[in-house]
Amino acid sequence: MREVVCKKEDIEPGKMRSASLGKIPVVVCRTKDGEFYAYANRCLHQGAPLSEGALCGDTKRTDIHGNYEYIRDGEILRCPWHGLEYDIKNDGCMLAEPEKKLRSFNVTIEDEHVVLYK
Amino acid sequence: MAQKSIKKGKKQRRIIDTDIHERATYAELVPYLDNPWRRYITDNHWIQEKHMPYTQPTVAGVDRADAVTPDGGAAGTDLAFMQEQLLDAEGHEYGILTGALDPSPSSMHGWYEMGAALATAYNNWQIENWLEKDDRLYGSVHIAAQDPQQAVREIERVGSHPKMVQILLPIDTRSWGDPYYHPIFEAAERHNLSIGMHHNEPPTHFGGWPRYFIEWHTMLPTAHMIEVSNMVFNGVFDKFPGLSLIMIEGGFTHAPHLMKKMDQQYKELRHEIPWVKRMPSRIMQEHVRFTTQPVEEMTEKEFMQYMDQMGSEDMVCFATDYPHWDYDSPLEALPKLGETLEEKIYAENARASYPKLPQMQGSVLT
Repeated sequence: MREVVCKKEDIEPGKMRSASLGKIPVVVCRTKDGEFYAYANRCLHQGAPLSEGALCGDTKRTDIHGNYEYIRDGEILRCPWHGLEYDIKNDGCMLAEPEKKLRSFNVTIEDEHVVLYK
Repeated sequence: MAQKSIKKGKKQRRIIDTDIHERATYAELVPYLDNPWRRYITDNHWIQEKHMPYTQPTVAGVDRADAVTPDGGAAGTDLAFMQEQLLDAEGHEYGILTGALDPSPSSMHGWYEMGAALATAYNNWQIENWLEKDDRLYGSVHIAAQDPQQAVREIERVGSHPKMVQILLPIDTRSWGDPYYHPIFEAAERHNLSIGMHHNEPPTHFGGWPRYFIEWHTMLPTAHMIEVSNMVFNGVFDKFPGLSLIMIEGGFTHAPHLMKKMDQQYKELRHEIPWVKRMPSRIMQEHVRFTTQPVEEMTEKEFMQYMDQMGSEDMVCFATDYPHWDYDSPLEALPKLGETLEEKIYAENARASYPKLPQMQGSVLT
């Protein structure tokens, strides 16, 4: 199955938009370095539409209490409801429970268009 | 997707949602206030000092990120959008409004006179803009509980409105079993109103505020446990046998522990509280209800273990907490529990706890 979503420039780096592949709701994300990723647009927890949430960053794991470092801005997809976080550059794994992951879809750029494949 | 699930199902689930947050802006309350109260907002730019020492490090503050209204307003400010996103989408039969706690008359420190004026304005605003505009919505009487006599006057004023079903009390430094609040309970009984406890700010924590929001949010049930044990051991339900208490937004999984613990203590120390005539768990089964949200992820087996330990399937009522970030979906939040228990949790337990909601006669609403 193939679906043309939009033009490449319609999704700026660090932004996302909802789309569909056949009947499947999909969220298409573009990281700040310009890469495209596509996942099922449904949180694994209670089904909220992830495209209504935020594309944001993470705080770096540390051994020092009180030490904060903001990393990976634009690479973490956060649910609009309970804030569960998914790593869009790492197969859609949930940050808290990496064994759980979003269903992913192939995205290609063809003639400056964003195209989804299943 | 919610709509789709409903259409697919053989029978639409009846939902009585026990925690929905409508929000008044200060500007909307102004027309409902007389002077001098009005001018403190319009001329002096008064807003209530809030007590929580955290921002909410969530995806969009206190709200669901997708609940901003179409014109960019704060979540919960637009009836039509709430109807579309919640009541219609999920097929609500009824919803109980609990306010957005801003302003929050009962948790104002000092200036109870302003608190009482705000409560009156809020109640009038709520009736006119929500309760009388959607048959599904029922309301909560807001009071400034720090002045019980004034609070009773407000309950007398609006408590008989057919769509007011409960009185909201604050969790603050004075716990609810205290005789100080008894005139409020007496008024509640008189008007067939339940007492609703929403985890208002500042839910009292022993040891003060924890350092992180995640700690505070995790430990909300401790504030609920304090209030329930305080009411039971201070004999509130012995003195007011018609009173029902709804503990909102603390979840329910702490309840089995509390019931067991209180029973054991009662066996050992009951002589200290001779006005309490029955086992605490029995009193709680009869008078206290807990709302599900924010519910932990559970299997059916885990869920049923809690039910078994509570010794009752009547004590848990469903709530979404819409439009807040920790909202629970009526279609996704709980495991499958079988038709009978689901009917109780999603609707009938709440119907039984709020006597002013339309009641079922057989399969017909009256």
